[in-house]
Amino acid sequence: MRPVPRPADRITVSMSVNGGPVERTVDSRRLLADFLREDLGLTGTHLGCEHGVCGACTLLVDGRPVRSCIMLAVQADGCEVTTVEGITPREGLNPIQQAFKDHHGLQCGFCTPGFLMTLTGAEPSEYPDDESIRELLAGNLCRCTGYEGIVEAVRAAWGRDEREGRRP
Amino acid sequence: MTARPSFIGAHTPRVEDDRLLTGGARFGADVSLPGMLEAAFYRSPLPHALIGGVDPSRTAELKGVAGVFTAEDMSDVSPFPDFDEHARPVEIFPLARGRVRYAGAPIAAVVAADRYEAEDAVDLLSVDLDPLPPVVSVEQALAPDAPRLYPDWPDNAVIEWPVSNPDAIAEFDRLEDGAFTVGGRYEIRRHTGAPIETRGVAAEFREGRLTVWTTTQFPHIARTMLSYCLPLDESDIRVVVPDVGGGFGVKAEFYVEEVTIPWLAMKLGRPVRWIEDRREHLIATCHARDLVLDLEAAVGPDGRFRAVRGMAIQDLGAAEMYPYGFSPTFTAVGHITGPYRIPHQSVGVLAAATNKTPNGAYRGFGIPEAAFGIERLMDKAADRLGLDRNEIRRRNLIGQEDIPYTTSAGAVVDSGSHRETFEETVRVAAERREHWRDRLAGDPRIRVGSGVVNYIEGVTPTYFMTTGHWTSFDSCSIRVNPDGTAVVSVGVSTSGQGLESMLTTLTAEALGVRRDQVRIVMGDTDRTPYGLGSWGSRSTNVASGALREAADALLGKAVRIAAHLLEASPEDIEVYDGSFEVRGSPGAAVTWRQVATAANIRTMDLPEGVKPGMEASASYDPPGIEHTPDEYGRVNAAATYTNASHAAVVSVDVGTGQVRVLEYIVAHDCGTVINPQIVRGQVVGGIAQGIGGALLEQLHYDEFGNPLSTSFLDYHLPTAAEIPPMAVLHFESPAPEMPWGAKGAGEAGIIGPAPAIAAGVEDALSEYGIAEITLTPITAPYLLGLLPSG
Repeated sequence: MRPVPRPADRITVSMSVNGGPVERTVDSRRLLADFLREDLGLTGTHLGCEHGVCGACTLLVDGRPVRSCIMLAVQADGCEVTTVEGITPREGLNPIQQAFKDHHGLQCGFCTPGFLMTLTGAEPSEYPDDESIRELLAGNLCRCTGYEGIVEAVRAAWGRDEREGRRP
Repeated sequence: MTARPSFIGAHTPRVEDDRLLTGGARFGADVSLPGMLEAAFYRSPLPHALIGGVDPSRTAELKGVAGVFTAEDMSDVSPFPDFDEHARPVEIFPLARGRVRYAGAPIAAVVAADRYEAEDAVDLLSVDLDPLPPVVSVEQALAPDAPRLYPDWPDNAVIEWPVSNPDAIAEFDRLEDGAFTVGGRYEIRRHTGAPIETRGVAAEFREGRLTVWTTTQFPHIARTMLSYCLPLDESDIRVVVPDVGGGFGVKAEFYVEEVTIPWLAMKLGRPVRWIEDRREHLIATCHARDLVLDLEAAVGPDGRFRAVRGMAIQDLGAAEMYPYGFSPTFTAVGHITGPYRIPHQSVGVLAAATNKTPNGAYRGFGIPEAAFGIERLMDKAADRLGLDRNEIRRRNLIGQEDIPYTTSAGAVVDSGSHRETFEETVRVAAERREHWRDRLAGDPRIRVGSGVVNYIEGVTPTYFMTTGHWTSFDSCSIRVNPDGTAVVSVGVSTSGQGLESMLTTLTAEALGVRRDQVRIVMGDTDRTPYGLGSWGSRSTNVASGALREAADALLGKAVRIAAHLLEASPEDIEVYDGSFEVRGSPGAAVTWRQVATAANIRTMDLPEGVKPGMEASASYDPPGIEHTPDEYGRVNAAATYTNASHAAVVSVDVGTGQVRVLEYIVAHDCGTVINPQIVRGQVVGGIAQGIGGALLEQLHYDEFGNPLSTSFLDYHLPTAAEIPPMAVLHFESPAPEMPWGAKGAGEAGIIGPAPAIAAGVEDALSEYGIAEITLTPITAPYLLGLLPSG
């Protein structure tokens, strides 16, 4: 059995971040979020609560949304990590980003990368109506928008009828 | 002069969005400096204690620790100055000196190579605290034998402002012709703004100059406060505001960490950064509300309110907060009659210190509390009379014929659509309630109801009654570069509302440039003129006033230059889309670039008498604002007044007590709308926060003063699943005295939900004849307690 790493142990990790290979030696206790933000300079991932509740730090590990504030960098060894920087085209915005802009799905923008990554990792067919979209989004907290613009942006990005579920 | 389509009211995309959507924004935690150290605080685990000593010896085993500091080390730092003449004096020191008065008060600062190590070191500190008995409620605080938070005070009252207005009291003494009184104690419990970005401060001291990056809503005020506390001239301090991830008022306080971190950077000669974690945020960033309105109204037999009297009683927490945490309570009293013709009021204020986190600002700033009180009282009076709850409002609402209307609190309501928004909201709410009753009729446990409420909100207020120091103006400086791009710098400061977009639109409108020719600079005291920042729904009003004056000066000059270049008369020049044209002569045009090049570079092309340069500055102080109240508390403390009517359609599960807001309707009037999408976003976002406060959010303490809501697992923000679809109906009653007729829209939405939801729940449960709902949050246990058991 391998010895349990102590917090100060240095461990070498290698992973793919936004499509490029990364190999670094990190403290075993280093959070994935801190590794990306502080060591790789990818500050688009934000920390809002560090308890895994608010979802601002959501990113994709092997295509699935995870909370990078409660995952260690060493746990991502050998994985493919995608952050908001990785879904941004070289020029302009991707369709979900553009929909957020068109529908005022953000104000301060702090929670926004987390929402974008949750949506990037979601399969639209599993969320056929507004109620299920709201359930999906309920894992991310936004304090500015009241979620209305975000729900509208998801409808637009996923090609839903704009009036679906809307009431006068 | 300008004969072009207006940008005002047009849909224009936000200029902030691209950087926020791509990870390109720079928030407080993204500030990173070469050689930077990180700080963490040892915060009091006890609500009330004397500080014996701090022993840092065990931190020596950590190689990255640069130092451990306490109040004794900061002898060259002055406490915050105290400007208020009416409240008991409170000395605020950056680190607690001698005594802690709330769990979360910072006792020691530890600086280390990184945050991990700084937090390790905090855990290794040995701190000697001698517990004192805690005070955890207003009743306890004011008991004769109560332990005192401030030993040199005779009791724990921070401020007492009794009001005895004889005109109001007379209405209670002569209850004739079937007039009667209704009263109640209405309680808005402790909650907070909780932006998703916590606070953060980074500082660097180089070459005798201090630069402070901080997540504040008022950079210039922060710099002035730093100059009061640190041994530095104000000119040697630069405050920079990064992108701010939501403020909602909690970042419009000047915090002790904003002094400590710069002091550490000066002391250590290294940049230092501190990023607040969520637990710290919930115990060390200001709390809000926690107010009881003890109110009584004298009501005529026709349902017309004649007077309101009572007291606003606030649990202020430890009172170590600046600007003052009791200020929202005075604002509540200033809005106690809402948009109703209630001729007299006599409502005083009492705020008591307790061993809880100090109270401060939160969006709405007393007005949600006031609306809850007066709207609950309206409902109660209607029920007493057997009158429809909408009808009693109809009889009391101010109408167009009353405007300008001076409220009993002294507010001069200059414009509005108080009855119009109400009738429209009543109409839509009735339809929607029936829709939902039909739709949910099959579920025997579900009842559906609705409630409609009204409010006015004083926007762009004086800061004097909040700070005892600053007043109400703001500034703008515009420079047009030789290429025709305009750099606009302002004293207001954004925390995500869309101020860059708003100011871009107004600059394009005022100068005749294209929107993509405008750059906005804010949140940097070296690069912007002095201003008071963004709070109180003020930025649109104050920034636009200053911007328009500066832009008018530049445009007048530019037109003279353009006319000279075109060999035309200035009266014949029109400006549109970045170019100046001669009216009636298509093709005869010069661009802003040509005009600005003449002004800045080819000055020989200027007409006689026109000086080189293309730069202008202006300040703007909204007219009509009074800074101090009279003996009955009357004051016109705001530049203008928005109005709105709100309706909540709710369902109640009579088995579980769970309340759901099914749909929310708001008819909102903030004068001229500059950007409809942004206004809608402000209103809807405010309503969502209001729903949180009405149903979910409470900062709990146990009987010993220990904070129990210290993470988002036990402080519940509403998610997308709790926030309903909203119908937003816009009305526009331009403010006669304000630039472009606009009124601030930042806070309005949060005011209506608590009373609208309370009324909706009572309506849903009308068959049970439940007792009046008198407090928020309206939790399931509270509601089950009101319902007949079984």
